[in-house]
Amino acid sequence: MPINYGLANLSHYAFLLTVVTYALAVLAYAGDLAFGREVLAALKSAPRREAALVGVGAAAPAQEGAAASGGAVSGVAPPEAGGGAPTGSVGTAGDGSPGIQGRAAPRMGAWVRVALGLTMVGLAMHILGVVSRGLAVHRLPWGDMYEFVTTVTCVAVAFFLFLMLRYRAYRLGLFVLGPVVVLLGIAETLIYTPAGQLPPALQSYWLAIHVTSITLATGAFVVAALFTVTYLLAERNARRAGKGLAEATGGIMRFLPSPKVIDQLSYRLVVFGFPLWTFGIIAGAIWADEAWGRYWGWDPTETWAFITWVVYAGYLHARATAGWRGRRAAYIQLIGFGCLLFNTVVVSLLIKGLHSYAGLS
Amino acid sequence: MRTALVLLFLLAIASVPGSVLPQRGIDPLAVQQYYTAHPALAPWLARLSLFDVFGSPWFAAIYLLLFTSLAGCVFPRTFRLVGAARQQPPHAPRHLSRLPLASQYRTAMSPPQALTVASEMLSRKRFRVATGEGWVSAEKGYLREVGNLLFHLALLALLAAVAMGGMFGYKADRLLVEGQSFANTVTELDTFSPGRAVSAADLQPFTISLNKFSATYIRSGSLRGQPASFNAYIHYAPTVGAPFRAYDLRVNHPLSVDGVRVFLIGHGYAPVFKVTDGAGQVVFNQPVPFIAVEQAGLTSEGVIKVPDAQPQQLGFAGVFLPTVYDSGGVLQSAFPAPLDPAVSLVSYAGNLNMNGGPPQSVYRLDTAGMHRLPVAPRPLAPGQSITLPHGYGKLTFTGYRQWASLAITYDPGTLPALFAGLAALAGLLLSFFVRRRRVFVRAHPDPDGVTSVEVGALARSDAAGGLEAEFASLLDQFSAAHQGIPPGPPAAPKSPGQTASVTTREPSGSGEPPEPSASGERSGPPVSASTPGRVRAPSLSMGGSTRPDATGDQPIPNPTEGD
Repeated sequence: MPINYGLANLSHYAFLLTVVTYALAVLAYAGDLAFGREVLAALKSAPRREAALVGVGAAAPAQEGAAASGGAVSGVAPPEAGGGAPTGSVGTAGDGSPGIQGRAAPRMGAWVRVALGLTMVGLAMHILGVVSRGLAVHRLPWGDMYEFVTTVTCVAVAFFLFLMLRYRAYRLGLFVLGPVVVLLGIAETLIYTPAGQLPPALQSYWLAIHVTSITLATGAFVVAALFTVTYLLAERNARRAGKGLAEATGGIMRFLPSPKVIDQLSYRLVVFGFPLWTFGIIAGAIWADEAWGRYWGWDPTETWAFITWVVYAGYLHARATAGWRGRRAAYIQLIGFGCLLFNTVVVSLLIKGLHSYAGLS
Repeated sequence: MRTALVLLFLLAIASVPGSVLPQRGIDPLAVQQYYTAHPALAPWLARLSLFDVFGSPWFAAIYLLLFTSLAGCVFPRTFRLVGAARQQPPHAPRHLSRLPLASQYRTAMSPPQALTVASEMLSRKRFRVATGEGWVSAEKGYLREVGNLLFHLALLALLAAVAMGGMFGYKADRLLVEGQSFANTVTELDTFSPGRAVSAADLQPFTISLNKFSATYIRSGSLRGQPASFNAYIHYAPTVGAPFRAYDLRVNHPLSVDGVRVFLIGHGYAPVFKVTDGAGQVVFNQPVPFIAVEQAGLTSEGVIKVPDAQPQQLGFAGVFLPTVYDSGGVLQSAFPAPLDPAVSLVSYAGNLNMNGGPPQSVYRLDTAGMHRLPVAPRPLAPGQSITLPHGYGKLTFTGYRQWASLAITYDPGTLPALFAGLAALAGLLLSFFVRRRRVFVRAHPDPDGVTSVEVGALARSDAAGGLEAEFASLLDQFSAAHQGIPPGPPAAPKSPGQTASVTTREPSGSGEPPEPSASGERSGPPVSASTPGRVRAPSLSMGGSTRPDATGDQPIPNPTEGD
C-alpha cells in the first residue's frame, strides 16, 4: 500500500506541536516551583514552616516535625494526635496537609493546573502524531529510530501522567517532561526519518510483539530513571540535612515528594517494566529463531539487552534484599538505564549488527 | 540467587567486548578489516580471544562457574525448601510491640475466642497457622523459596538446552543461483558446522532448487533504493525421489523440512560469462556469483577463473553494477535493481596457482603469478564482449541471474530453551515479588477484664513495601471481626476497645533512616459507620490512601482506594 503523505505530514506537525506544548508545560512546572502558592506562603511565614514542612523521609527533620506536631514519631501518630478530627497525619506540614506527598501540595495551584493541562494537551497531540504516523505507513509506527523515540517518549509521558494523577506527584513534572522535550526535539531535528515502508526483515507480526513490549518497558524505565535521579537528589539533600549541612527544605527540595515516595514510584515502574522487558527479549529470541535461524546469537543489540536485563534483575534483587535498598539500589538502576541508553543510542547507531534498523545513515 | 546474579552479571560484562569488537563467528570480514586498521593491536586482542569472545576459554570459564554454582546451589535449596515446607510457624514473640509492625486494640471477646477468630481468619487467607497458649503465629509466602529454586533449575535447564543444540544441531549455508539445485549433503554445502554429535549421515536428505529470485525496491521518495520484498521461489523434495513441492521462501518465512529449517539470508547478482580461449574453445560459460560491497546500489564484486584456457590461464576481477552511471570517471550503481546493468573487468593472464597450495577462495584472485592485460577499461552491457590481446581469447558478458543464499539450521534445543527461559522468568518474579511474612496475634485479659489483643508482623524482605498495607488491612479485619461480638462497651472515642494504635519500627540493620510511613494518614473514615470516632487502622503503603485531612480543605476523591 502506498504511503499516505498527508497523514505523514500531519504526524510531523503533531509532533512539533507536542514539543511546543510540552515545553510550555515545563515552563509551567518550573513556574510552580519558583512562584507557586507554597513558595509564596513559605516566604511569608518562613521560620515556622521551615520546621513544619519537613518531609517524611528525612530522619532528623522528621523528629523535629514530630515534635512540632505533637509526638508523631516514625510514621504513626498515637490516637491522641488523631483524635476525632485528626490533623496529625504522618510527618505532615503543620497546617495538616496529608503526609503522603510529603512536601507536595495537597491541592493544585494555578501553575500546576496550567502545567497539567498543557501536559494532557501535549500527550493528546503526541498520541495523534504516533497514530497518524502509523496510519500513514499502514503498520505499527515503531520501525526505525525516529519512530521508536517518538513512541517511547509518548509511553513515558503517559506513564508519568498516570503516576502524577494517581499519586499527585505534580512536582516531578519538571524532571520528567524536561528530558522528554529534549528527546522529542532531537527526534524531530536530528533523527527525523520520513515515513516509509519497512525492509523485509521487519515485515513480521513479531514486530508488533517484540518491539511493542520493548517500547513499553523502555518507556517505564525512562520515567523510573528520571524519578531515581530526582530521588538521589532529594535523598542526598535529606542526608545532608540530617548532618546539618543543608536545609532540608532548601531550594526546590522543599516542594518535592519525600525521597521514599519518589523511590517507590520508581521501583513500581521498574516492577512494571522488567517483566515486559524480559518478555520482549524472549519474543525477540523467538523472532530471531524464525528470521535468522537461531534464538540467540550474541548480536550486539542482543548482548546489551541481556546486560540491561541482568542489571535490572540485580536492582530488583537488591530491593528484595535487606541492606541494599535506597541509594545503592538506585545506583544499580541507573547503571541498568545507562546500559539501555547505550543499546538504543550507541549500539543501534554506531555498531553494525543484525539490529541496524535505525534508518539513519 | 545472589551468586547466580553476580555470575550472570559477570557474563554480561564479559560479553561487552563481543558486542564492541568484530567477531569471527559473526563477521569475519570485519575482523580482517580490523587487522588492517590496527596492525599492532589486533594480534594482542586475538591472543586474548577478543575476536571470538563467545567461544573463548575465559567466557566458557564464567558460564561453567555459573553452571557449577547453580548445580551446587540447587541441593541445599531443595533441602531448605522441604524443611521450610514441613516447618511450623515459630512461637509468637513475647513482646509483639518490638516487631517492625505492631498494633494493639481491645475487644470484648474472651482471649481464646479472639484467638480462634484470628486463627480462622489467617487460615482462610492461606497462612500456615500455629497456635499456643495465648498466641497465634502464622506464616505465608513459601512460594518465594519455590521461585528461587525454580529460577536455579530453569537456568540449569537453559544451559542444558543450549548445550543440546550445540551437540545435536548443525548449521550450514548454501549459495544458490537461479536454476541451480542442491541436496542437503556435506559435499554440496558451502559451509557446514555440525554439533559434536552430528555426523554427515545425520543430515536430512532433502533437495532444493531455486527457480527464481525476485527483489523489489522502493523506487521513489527519500527511501529510494531500500528493499521492499525478497522472494525466493524454490522447489523442494523432502526425501530423495519424493515429488517436488513449490515454496515461496521469504525473510521471516522459513521453510521447515523434517525438523530442519531453511532461511533466506542473502541475495545478489550472478553475471553470466562466456570465455572463448586462444584455441577457439569455449572454456567457460556459467554464472558467477558476485558479492555486494554496498547496499544502496548493490555494487557487487567477484572474480572469474578460467583454468582451462589456452595458451595461458585467464583470470578476471570484476564489478557488477545493477544500474550503472558514470560519476566523474568513477563507475557507480545508482539503484539496486538491474535497470541498466553493466560489468567492469580487469583481465589477467598467467598462472592462477590453483594446483597445490592451500585451497583458494572462489571470491579472490591470486594474481602473484599473473600479469595484467592491457584492455581498455570500458563497462560491458549484456551481450558485449572484450577481446583479449596476444590472441588469448574473448570474454562475453551474456547476461545475469540472481542468487539467494540459504541458511540451513537444525537445533533440537530451541523449544527446551524457550520453556526454560519462561520458567526462569516465572521463578525470578516469584522470588522478587512474593513476601515471606509472619503475623502474630496475642490476646490476654487486662486487669479490668477486657481482652487486649496485640498484633504484629514482620517480613524477611519486602521490596515493594506492601507489607504495611497488608498488615493494615489484616488489622482492620481483625478488629472488625473482634468487635462484631456483642456486647462491648459503648462506642465512644478513646473508650476501651475503640482505638487501634499502630507502631512501626524499622527492622534493625537496614542502615537507613527510619522508614517514613509514606501514606500514613490517620484520618480515614471509621471502619464501620456505626462506631464513629474509631480511628481506622492506617494504611502505610505509599500507594495507600491519600485522603485529605479534615482541615477544611475540600475533599479530593481518593483515586487509590482499594489499592
